[in-house]
Order: sequence, then C-alpha cells, then structure tokens
Amino acid sequence: MGKLTIGCFPGLVGNWSYDFALKFAGAAKDKGHDVDLWFSGNASASIVAGQKHLKDYSTGEKYLAELIEKGVKICTCEACSIARGVKKDASVKGVQWNAMHWYLASIHGADRVLQIGGE
Amino acid sequence: MKLGVFVSDYTLVNDTLDRVGPDGLILVANGVYHATIKGSALLGKYSKLYVLSEDLATRGIEASAVDSKVKVVDYSGLVDVVFNDFEKIAWL
Repeated sequence: MGKLTIGCFPGLVGNWSYDFALKFAGAAKDKGHDVDLWFSGNASASIVAGQKHLKDYSTGEKYLAELIEKGVKICTCEACSIARGVKKDASVKGVQWNAMHWYLASIHGADRVLQIGGE
Repeated sequence: MKLGVFVSDYTLVNDTLDRVGPDGLILVANGVYHATIKGSALLGKYSKLYVLSEDLATRGIEASAVDSKVKVVDYSGLVDVVFNDFEKIAWL
C-alpha cells in the first residue's frame, strides 16, 4: 500500500474537481492506501459544519465526516478559511487547520501526489 | 519516469500534452468526451488511455461509445491505475 496526497484547489466549491477529489480520496482509502487531502482556495470554505446534505452535491459535512471516519486526513489552509469567514470552532470535526507546510510535508512523504486546480 | 496526465476538460490540449510528454492519459469530467472521438489524433498518441465510468454515465455516454483504445475504469480502478501504471501524475 502507498500514500496518496491530494491537493484540492478548486475554483468554486461544488465544482467537478472538488467532487472528484473527495471521491478519489475515498476510493484510495477503501483500497488500503493512506490518504491526505489538502484544501486550499475555495475548498477551504467547504469545511463549515452543519451544511445540509444535498443529493448529488459533494459539499457538506456528510462526505467530509465519512472520509474522516475512514481515516482520510483532511487539512484546510488556515489563512484561506479565515479569509472566507470560516470559524475554527464552527468547522467540521476532525478537519485539521494548518498552513502550506502541512501540504508540503505530506507531499514529501507521499508515493503519489495529485494537485487539482489552482486556477 | 512514467507520467500520467488527467485531462479534465474538452479543450484542445494537444500542445500542452506535447510539451509535457505523458506516457498516458486519464480522462475525467468533460475530458471524457475525448474518449468518444473514434480515431482521434489525441487517442492515437498514447498507449495507456483510461476514462472514468462515473463521468461517462453523468453525461449519458454509454461505454460502447468509447474508442476501443480507451479502458473504462471506476474510481477503484482509477486508484490502481495511479499507483500501478504511473510514477507521477498531473492534472490538466
């Protein structure tokens, strides 16, 4: 088994790259890989707790909580989240808050890295 | 180094891919439309070609419409492709 690090830098929350990142992270974890998921840019606004679950819409607490329950490590860019008005005490339980060095350290120890977006 | 490139849009990516020089392509999101153009120059350049089944289904595309050079995989299969077929991956 290997380690996969996904950097998710979507243009808009709810877009396809965010959706892909969550599903791919879950699939890799299901196959026994270690998975780190880094949220930057607008993905950092997706960690607000209590979001209503909508069918066929990949944002919301349900999906993040499921990934965390499986053991996927999710970390948001603290500066990105704060810039979007997200409060640390009102974010999904289990989501880590840190700076870019968390992502860089994760990449350093990963067997595969997929950075999505960045637009 | 075996490089796999995710192609996530249906735009003309030939120039970029020529510069990057991947060993194979993974077609996702709107990039899945590339898989349906039978005999396309893009598909002819690479020996390893994959397309995500869920993204085909989302767009109402049957697997039978996919070029025979492209292998249809689900998310689980895609994980194996990333770990077994390529050493590096990139996203376009």
